[in-house]
Amino acid sequence: MTGVALHDPHAVHAEPAPPPTGFRRLLAAGWLRVPWMTALFFGIGAGIVCLVRWLEGWHPIWDGKVITTVELTAVPLGFLAAIGGFDYWMRYAAGSPTRPEDHSGHGARSWRDYFRINTDHKVIGIQYLVTTIFFFVIAGLLAMMMRAELARPGMQFVDNQLFNGLFSVHAALMIFLFVIPAFAGIGNYVIPLMIGAPDMAFPRLNALSFWLLPIAGFMMLSSFLAPGGPFAAGWTGYAPLASTHQPIGAVFFNMGVQWAGASSIMTALNFLVTIITMRAPGMSFWRMPLLVWANFTTSLLVVIATPFIAGSQFFVMFDHVMHTNFFNYQNGGYPLGYQHIFWFYSHPAVYIMMLPGFGIASEVISVMARKPIFGYRLMALSLMAILVLGFSVWAHHMFVAGMAPWLRVPMMVTSMVIAVPTGIKVFSWLATLWEGRIHFDTPMLFALGFVSMFVIGGLSGIYLAAVPIDIHVSDTYFVVAHIHYVLFGGSLFTIFAGIYFWFPKMTGRMYDERLGKLHFWLTFIGFNLTFFPMHWLGIQGMPRRVADYVPRFADLNLFISLASFGLGASTLVFLYNMIKSWRFGPAAEANPWRSLTLEWQVSSPPPIFNFDEIPQVVGNPYEYGVEGARHAVFNGDRVGTLEEVPTR
Amino acid sequence: MRRGSIVQLVAIGVVCGAGAALVALLIPWLPAPASRQAGRIDFVFWFVTVICIAIFALVAAVIIYSIFKFRAGPDDDSDGPPIHGNTRLEIAWTAVPAALVTAISIVSAVVLAQNEHIPHASAASDPLKPVHVNVIAQQFAWTFKYPDFGGLTSATLKLPVDSTARLRITSLDVTHSFWVPQFGQKLDAVPGSFNTLPVTPDKLGTYPVICTELCGLGHALMRSTANVMPADKFLSWAKGQQKKLGGPAAASGKAVFANNGCAACHTLAAANAKGKVGPDLDKLPQEAQKAGKPLDQFIRESIVTPNAYIEPGFQPNIMPGSFGSLPKAQLDALVSFLAGSKK
Repeated sequence: MTGVALHDPHAVHAEPAPPPTGFRRLLAAGWLRVPWMTALFFGIGAGIVCLVRWLEGWHPIWDGKVITTVELTAVPLGFLAAIGGFDYWMRYAAGSPTRPEDHSGHGARSWRDYFRINTDHKVIGIQYLVTTIFFFVIAGLLAMMMRAELARPGMQFVDNQLFNGLFSVHAALMIFLFVIPAFAGIGNYVIPLMIGAPDMAFPRLNALSFWLLPIAGFMMLSSFLAPGGPFAAGWTGYAPLASTHQPIGAVFFNMGVQWAGASSIMTALNFLVTIITMRAPGMSFWRMPLLVWANFTTSLLVVIATPFIAGSQFFVMFDHVMHTNFFNYQNGGYPLGYQHIFWFYSHPAVYIMMLPGFGIASEVISVMARKPIFGYRLMALSLMAILVLGFSVWAHHMFVAGMAPWLRVPMMVTSMVIAVPTGIKVFSWLATLWEGRIHFDTPMLFALGFVSMFVIGGLSGIYLAAVPIDIHVSDTYFVVAHIHYVLFGGSLFTIFAGIYFWFPKMTGRMYDERLGKLHFWLTFIGFNLTFFPMHWLGIQGMPRRVADYVPRFADLNLFISLASFGLGASTLVFLYNMIKSWRFGPAAEANPWRSLTLEWQVSSPPPIFNFDEIPQVVGNPYEYGVEGARHAVFNGDRVGTLEEVPTR
Repeated sequence: MRRGSIVQLVAIGVVCGAGAALVALLIPWLPAPASRQAGRIDFVFWFVTVICIAIFALVAAVIIYSIFKFRAGPDDDSDGPPIHGNTRLEIAWTAVPAALVTAISIVSAVVLAQNEHIPHASAASDPLKPVHVNVIAQQFAWTFKYPDFGGLTSATLKLPVDSTARLRITSLDVTHSFWVPQFGQKLDAVPGSFNTLPVTPDKLGTYPVICTELCGLGHALMRSTANVMPADKFLSWAKGQQKKLGGPAAASGKAVFANNGCAACHTLAAANAKGKVGPDLDKLPQEAQKAGKPLDQFIRESIVTPNAYIEPGFQPNIMPGSFGSLPKAQLDALVSFLAGSKK
């Protein structure tokens, strides 16, 4: 019996302690504590800065730049403390009696419960998804503004600072506030259910890691309000442009990345510990669904790689605010050093943004094709291969950066080799389809859309891995096309597949299938019309990150802009479907897809602690078409007498 | 698998492959190459394209075939056959892609080595084998220096045809990137280091020089031109320029303005400059008045310490401070040219 905590089912329904009254309400964890506590922390931050500057005799004592930098740490800490993110640990550290867990933090009784610290992984998963979709919409609107400006050559709507800010914030939000945390959200909801656990291993840490996200998001957004304008050095933030040539808004990016990164690391640790220690009895590693495998490898990537971007952004910020010289070549700094550290995270980050999508695609394709996933073990092993190889390819982003020339060929070879495990996955999905009984529900459409678009993105990746071609096309629209085929056609399509797939489980209601299909086709067509022509633009000579371009690219850019508006509008169908179905959709069955994995063996939405009985895992998760196969049985069933299904 | 279905599958694959091949062939994807390096890059491009079309056709065929053949009916809740894997197939789709990417890697590595090769000077006296050019990037202008021609400076890149040019690329402020699409060659200009890029132009003409690494607000406008000319014309141009710069200081002010790329950001009718990133230099007297300084002093100060006065509507730290290090004679010539153009 691997560690599954037993919960007394009767304790679950205990009502929480009566809420405090009078002025005590200002002291209790929650939104009423936020105004005065953030103000207090603001004062502490500003006070420390002024005190140090006064003691050192630095003038002016009130320095806006330094204060802002410190406040971007102090104010969020105040906010987190106010909503109660640290209450339990503070009590424990202070030696006062800790409140025994009364499970009042579990479950959501009304919409208000989604706006507080909540330790239920299912609530947190939905908090994650709604928050990330919010930032997805904002970042999409920024892209729409960009395309409006790019519809004609010359400058029309925005100035250069704002335009550079638009694409910088667009990318930063999409990456750090949408793709990475949206996968964390889906994982948060589904993984404990899939492995037969009552919750994540560290529920309080889980709650805290969610609440870091809105902080990071609003911090990056608020750089538009900072004096001098938003950070405008791109999401890659290459030094020295980002360190010594940017307004104070750049610090909002540096610190936003820290908060989002911290959130990522905490969630990844939580996933790792949960997956390692909380699997249901019988759930061996080789019986885990591939989504769990995918999040396991992703979490390893996050834990190992994320500290590198944290370091790189701190160094840039120190150069900017404290006049250090990490990347300042005049004083011995090394500009290329930034790129090496940055890509040592940001290439693995590509897989952080891709592997969970692989997992979702595997679940959806196997269930909807009614066949076992083809080559399950090789699928899991290829994830591990990508994890390891992913750390050996970072400098392929730097073939033209002027790094040591000899480094290019080895980096090309490793980048090429990583196509092999990726190819294994694609071919295995195709083989899973073969002779299946394919049901084309919306999740399946998105999963197949993902496979086909990801193949195009992967093939353009081969061009980029080949050094001579990369020398020609790097930093052009070819790269813009490639990353959108990988991150939009790849990650976003799988996120949509996952949201539609688990929507009935999460909300207990069914989404509108017709609107879902409409959403898919609008997105699929709009996506290709928008991004495919960009390949040509790049090869022909249009650099990326420009607001103005030569007139001969005008017509195609106008076409792309119009297509992108259509693509943007397709999101409205999605939002309408989600909101309408969540409120008014027909009640969903427990297992509408007839899936074998554990999350579908409980009600929709699941009981507050997921499983009223501990599941006993007796076989593989994808045994579709195998006579009498079971993935898991519940205690009521005859555990032990059922013959285990042999692995192939 | 029946024979009929194999035929169908292959037919779909051929159609998909032919479609992709038409897209590849009918659209003029590559800019007309104007250097030997670009010609070789194009070869790699087509080599990779052939392989990619094959893979694309295979994947598309299987997906399309599956969509039509294996569609489940609305009430069909049966399962597919429990096929768990096929070791031979899995070995094949591990080994074949591995072989393909190995082939691409080898071709790429060979082409890279050829493209990076710089012939040694056969005779030290011949300045065209190779042509040495120092490429200096700064926000938001390119400067090209020819050390073998008495430090000759130009705002546009002039190269003789069919000689290898050895570009030594650096930057004075942030990272930029030098790219001429028709040359196919690109390399970042990194402050504090000198990166070497060989280019062997083989077609006469004028091509754009583009900055491809985001370098700040004027990034989109950081353009110049590359001029490939016959060797004798190049030599006579170089000699003519050397003479001009050695001439009287007043006449060279315009050359200093042109050679330092001022036109990339500023408007000045006298130099036929139309840049919009920085303040309009045709309005210098009014700006000097606003700053409350004599014209000559105002111009000199604005070049040497650009942040001393910022024209309303513009931001500090955009104009590079590096022009302060121009040789005094050139700086004087530039100031008198700018002031003179208004008198």
